[in-house]
Amino acid sequence: MGKKRKHSETEAPAPVKKNDEPAPERPKRTLLGWKDKNEEDAEKSKPLSSSGFRNKEKVLVTCSRRINFRYRHLMLNMVSLLPHCKKDSKVEAKSSKGATLNELIELKGSSSCLFFECRKHKDLYLWMVKSPGGPSVKFLVNAVHTMEELKLTGNHLKGSRPLLTFSSNFDKDVHWKLLKEMLTQIFGIPKEHRKSKPYHDHVFVFSIVDDHIWFRNYQISVPHNESDKIARGGLDKMTLIEVGPRFCLNPIKIFGGSFGGPTLYENPFYVSPNQIRAFEKRNKAGKFAKKIKAKTRRKMHELANPLEPDEFADMWKDDDE
Amino acid sequence: MSYEEDIVSDDEMNMIDEDVATDSEAESLSDSDTENEITEKLAEPTKTAVYNRAGLLDKLQDISWPEDVPWTHKLTVEIDQGQAVDVNDDLAREMAFYTQGLEGTREGYGKLEAMGLPFLRPSDYFAEMVKSDTHMEKVKSKLLYEKKQIEESEERRKARDNKRMAKEVQSQKMKERAKQKKDDIESVKKWRKQRQQSGFSEKGKDLDLEFGNGKSFQRGGGAKKRPGVTPGDRSGGKGGRPTSRMNNKKREFRDSKFGHGGRKGLNKQNTAETTNDFKGGFRGGKASGNKRQKR
Repeated sequence: MGKKRKHSETEAPAPVKKNDEPAPERPKRTLLGWKDKNEEDAEKSKPLSSSGFRNKEKVLVTCSRRINFRYRHLMLNMVSLLPHCKKDSKVEAKSSKGATLNELIELKGSSSCLFFECRKHKDLYLWMVKSPGGPSVKFLVNAVHTMEELKLTGNHLKGSRPLLTFSSNFDKDVHWKLLKEMLTQIFGIPKEHRKSKPYHDHVFVFSIVDDHIWFRNYQISVPHNESDKIARGGLDKMTLIEVGPRFCLNPIKIFGGSFGGPTLYENPFYVSPNQIRAFEKRNKAGKFAKKIKAKTRRKMHELANPLEPDEFADMWKDDDE
Repeated sequence: MSYEEDIVSDDEMNMIDEDVATDSEAESLSDSDTENEITEKLAEPTKTAVYNRAGLLDKLQDISWPEDVPWTHKLTVEIDQGQAVDVNDDLAREMAFYTQGLEGTREGYGKLEAMGLPFLRPSDYFAEMVKSDTHMEKVKSKLLYEKKQIEESEERRKARDNKRMAKEVQSQKMKERAKQKKDDIESVKKWRKQRQQSGFSEKGKDLDLEFGNGKSFQRGGGAKKRPGVTPGDRSGGKGGRPTSRMNNKKREFRDSKFGHGGRKGLNKQNTAETTNDFKGGFRGGKASGNKRQKR
């Protein structure tokens, strides 16, 4: 990774620089302004454990060919939401899809991947993969609303770090816990990322309802004056405005490797959309046959139970002269 | 129809694991694939579903971040969902998400405030937003349009209500007028009958019936206070003005004939009065007082 060194407050190696260097360095530049060396040293006296970890997550975002316009917009929305992602060109469908994608991930040096696979121009499957040998999940995506919809009126800084909220039933079972960890790592923007913005003005909501993961993105609007204190009673006046996008994920399978490997989890309630469509067609197809059957049944019934002769049937017959 | 057996595998590279454990989710849940299509209920979970808990836990350990990572890296908040949300009730579902977001934000902000980190965007901080300005313009115009629609429909409804009220009031008035008329006619009949019965005596002592104030026979029930104006008069009522000394009658006549859109066709006709008037009979001639003009 030949990236430029990011000047950050917490450097990964233990503080090496001493105060009395021969050539005075320029004051370091951080998001909040220029900083003097004195300040920096004061901060380095923090406990070492906090400076030992650095979130180096990089997400690769790609899609398959023949993707729908709506799903393409969804993918573009994801790209704009996650500044630590990298968008790549379309991937050829089928044949050794997994191998190609694994190579791509390594090439780009990413640690995870979001792959939008659209089949039959109708169904969208989302693969969430952690790169070197990590688990991968395949989801079916429903109920997609992109950010371009005019009903979603909120707006927020591009690249600001979101607050991630999970509903408590993510801790109920193992596979949910795993999914929660993956979502945290992929959707959480690394702390001092180059393209991240400083304030927290939006919140992601992940909740499990009916065994589906629902995603919402809200803008936080609070009347305030200063940037780190809430006005008195401001918390009560806080409102959330939906920014979008919106989607609903249905986990299909969890694999042990990236884009393959042993199946660790299968969703027992999952019905593929092909099956649903086939079922509907079968229903419709039987209509004519059922009608014929009903007719013959009626005929048999009439033959079996003949009506009594009607006394009044000939009443008006003699009247025409 | 049982689809428990068929799980269509869309070319996935997987090997079914040896330890097949049944996953027993207690409730039977519906799986909705697209919004428009019929939701399918798998009555019982597929018996062949794989659930390798040990493997899952292993992977979880693999990918997890170390335990002592400060919260500011993760920024996660867990919120209790409360009672189970019905998936098909849109409003309740969205409310649940909203409250989860709200509570999560409150907690998160509390933590950030405790740590002294800035989290609210100052009003003078301008940076690139995730939606472009043109897009927000469109959103704004749409909101304004909706608001206008609502207001217009409100106005229309109010106008309709007012009209209905006015119509009711008017019908009331008409009824009253009719009633009044009837009463008057009845009273005349009664008076006549009385007179008949008392043999048409000329004494006025039987005239104890009053016909109202004598005003009730007036047109408009006595409300009309401008005697110079008849319904067909188009002079705007100016004909009855007592002032304007100079050539009052001439002015009056001309006004009612020509002024303010006088009556169209018969303006220059000969009337009974004007046939014998040679060369204008206004100048103190026979025309005096109430010269009844053809209107």
